[in-house]
Amino acid sequence: MDGFHGCYWRFDLGRNEGERIPIDESVLRRTLGGVGLGAWLLHKEAPIGVDPLAPEAPLIFSFSPLVGTPFTTSAKFAVVAKSPLTGGISDALSSSHFAIAGKRLGVDAIVLVGACREPSDLVDGRLRPTESWGDSAEQTARRLASFGRVAAIGVAGERLVRFANLSADGRHAGRGGLGAVMGSKLLKAIVVRGEIETTIADPERVARLSKRLRKRAAGEATAKYRELGTIGNLLSFDRLGVLPTRNFQQSQFEGAEALSAENWHATRKHTRASCASCTIGCEHRFSFGSRETRVEYESLFALGPLCGIGDPDIVLAAAHRCDELGLDTISAGATLAFAMECGQRGLLEDGPGFDSPDAMLGWLDDIAHRRGLGDRLAEGSRRLAESIGRDAIHFAPQVKGLELPGYEPRSLQTLALGFAVGTRGADHNRSGAYEADFSEDVDRLCGGAHSAVRAVETEDRAALLDSLILCKFVRGALDDFYGDCADLLSAVTGEVFLADDLNSIAKRVVDLRKAFNIREGWQPSDDTLPERFLNEALPAGPARGARLPRARLEEMIRAYNLARGWAPDGSLPKSLTVERSAELGLSDEGWLGGHQRPIATEA
Amino acid sequence: MTGPGKRTGIVLCGGRSSRMGRPKAWLPWFGRTMVEHVVENLASAVDEIVVVTSKELDLPPLSARIVIDRTPELGPLAGIREGLAAAESEYALVTSVDAPYLSAEFARQMFAFGCAAAPLDEGRVQVLSALYPSAAWRRADELLSQGVRRPLALLEECDYKPVESSEFGRGATPSAWIGFNTPDAYLDAVRLRDPNATAEVELLGRAAKKAAQSRYRLPVGSLGELLAQLPESLSLTHEGRVAKSHLVSLGGRDLVRDLAVPIGPDERVSVIDALAGG
Repeated sequence: MDGFHGCYWRFDLGRNEGERIPIDESVLRRTLGGVGLGAWLLHKEAPIGVDPLAPEAPLIFSFSPLVGTPFTTSAKFAVVAKSPLTGGISDALSSSHFAIAGKRLGVDAIVLVGACREPSDLVDGRLRPTESWGDSAEQTARRLASFGRVAAIGVAGERLVRFANLSADGRHAGRGGLGAVMGSKLLKAIVVRGEIETTIADPERVARLSKRLRKRAAGEATAKYRELGTIGNLLSFDRLGVLPTRNFQQSQFEGAEALSAENWHATRKHTRASCASCTIGCEHRFSFGSRETRVEYESLFALGPLCGIGDPDIVLAAAHRCDELGLDTISAGATLAFAMECGQRGLLEDGPGFDSPDAMLGWLDDIAHRRGLGDRLAEGSRRLAESIGRDAIHFAPQVKGLELPGYEPRSLQTLALGFAVGTRGADHNRSGAYEADFSEDVDRLCGGAHSAVRAVETEDRAALLDSLILCKFVRGALDDFYGDCADLLSAVTGEVFLADDLNSIAKRVVDLRKAFNIREGWQPSDDTLPERFLNEALPAGPARGARLPRARLEEMIRAYNLARGWAPDGSLPKSLTVERSAELGLSDEGWLGGHQRPIATEA
Repeated sequence: MTGPGKRTGIVLCGGRSSRMGRPKAWLPWFGRTMVEHVVENLASAVDEIVVVTSKELDLPPLSARIVIDRTPELGPLAGIREGLAAAESEYALVTSVDAPYLSAEFARQMFAFGCAAAPLDEGRVQVLSALYPSAAWRRADELLSQGVRRPLALLEECDYKPVESSEFGRGATPSAWIGFNTPDAYLDAVRLRDPNATAEVELLGRAAKKAAQSRYRLPVGSLGELLAQLPESLSLTHEGRVAKSHLVSLGGRDLVRDLAVPIGPDERVSVIDALAGG
């Protein structure tokens, strides 16, 4: 099948040797690439119950059939591992030339197992002692640029911060602590370059479709991202009462105007940039002091309103610092905000405080270097709450250990369902259910069983885009989502893919991720939201009074599970596990029930 | 449990507000929502307030007990039943949430009758501005089980006293029972209080970047009437709806494209990019 190489490169860091392992074409056809293929490889390569930071835990870089084609936004790769933050699957995406160069090695994925004996870089298929330990990912990439395209970790990854990210070309595979997995292997960077082109079945058709997609992606559907960037969300979210503020105690921020895209575009020097192979150009870089940095809505909300910080220069500096240190901005901001509320309640002494902009950068440094209290914060909000005890876990802003992104679940209740059931934890990139909430045909303040269908739909679409891989920002440029995607894939592979095939693939990928979590100890009770969201109504703002009673959430979750064809409690029915494991050549050991063992929480 | 001498105010707000295009309880009324306005107006005339709502409708924080109407599809009599059953007094004044001119004085006058009573205005019994015995909830339950849904039937069973509207003093005018089921009726009620009432339209996102001015103070009216006063170059409407590229938030709560929805006094209308999130 064109578009694939039909194998992955498995490199054992402990033995400093790799081998190419074939992948059956039927598996590629059923999982495609990206998070789909990555989930399959994780099932195959990760020992059941493995400690995410143990040498045996695999770290997977998964490419896709569209990488290397002229389709806009297709230069992406997925990084997949068992998350040290959640104990379940983590699959994060990054856009960069690393994807193109990596696929030119002639493989569809790279799987790293084992651990280096000393801090090392993996260059040209061999380990060598790194000269970059202690440096940022960007510095590391500059140092190694002559050898190829680089994916690297920052200090946070080296220190095993459980929400450390992994970076390539300044774009991050941000969530779930994948940088810590790489750090646990004492691997600072992986550098790839190759010359093996992937064959394309119908280049003329690909060129035609590519031109059409590019044209559509330059239109109205992506105008917001081009003109304002994702930070355009902030002021609208404030007005809608969905902007998490001071650790989700409020849903509007008094300093929102000062942090808004509307304000910054009018008053602040800024530039635009694009990922590799992208014609949208959503990246907006803003100046602070004599420097400039890329900033997205999630960094802005997490390091700004969530921590009660309204000083734009501080927020920009904090976003930049997170990038330098290799910290996931959402988890960093949310863990800090949680610690701030703990301090407010007298549960934590000498910790960070709300509305204290001057201390922000210092706290980020402490987290990344695990200094003082930063060592506890580096564990993420769930573990911090468990160490504090009392009722701290009730307002720790996390699901399954992953900190919530910048969407208030009480006033976005379809997304609240997406957060609760997400295999990666609370996640707006795997569940795009906010799309339903931000429409006129859904009462976003009152979810119910009807929310399940919308949550499933958006999750399926995300699973497909993340497996193809295409950027989610082109979703609005596709008239017939599954049909258009099937056209692209068919043109590249030479195989006939129909819309229904792609919908089935999406559902398979979601099943596969769920199955992995089940075998690692998922329990039905893991699919929930923190008590705060179930017991406290929003106190003020346009959504004041909005609440998400536990019974309502449970009704929604049950409806979601049934809509997925799962058991009402979210377990996988025997018939489904048999089907999935057979079609993918995987053992279904541990897939049933979800009661095998607790999710590992300690390194 | 009922107590003699105690007074309960019951506010019904579980209806679907289908003709209004947005929940009546959340319609703005000069700095607060309708439900807040009605609850506050009643507060000084009663010992307790019970707000009856549906499980689908969240309400702002209120100084009131909240009761969920289990069968809102059965209409206002079902809400009256729920409210009376929850009341801790001998009599309860029942009002709908769309009663901007309901006053404490009117409520006191009604309680002074000491029996079931309802205003009579041009021959129409105002069943949703009426005094009911709290114990009548059982009878309401029976009526509903017999398929009777008219609140007047309950009043008749309670041998109610019809009170000519002329009997109410100055404190009760404009009439406490003026309500509204349509956008025009709501806007008429608003203009009755302030003929010069205005709302604010705020442009956010791309519209703000494109426009020379991002905030406009405009007379209340339908959403379409307000947007028609903004620069045409913004292309905010298309074929009788808000254009697909945008979405309009009313008071930060409802998201709409329907140009017929009413915009109330001091309301903030935010024009946002359609593709919020992501």
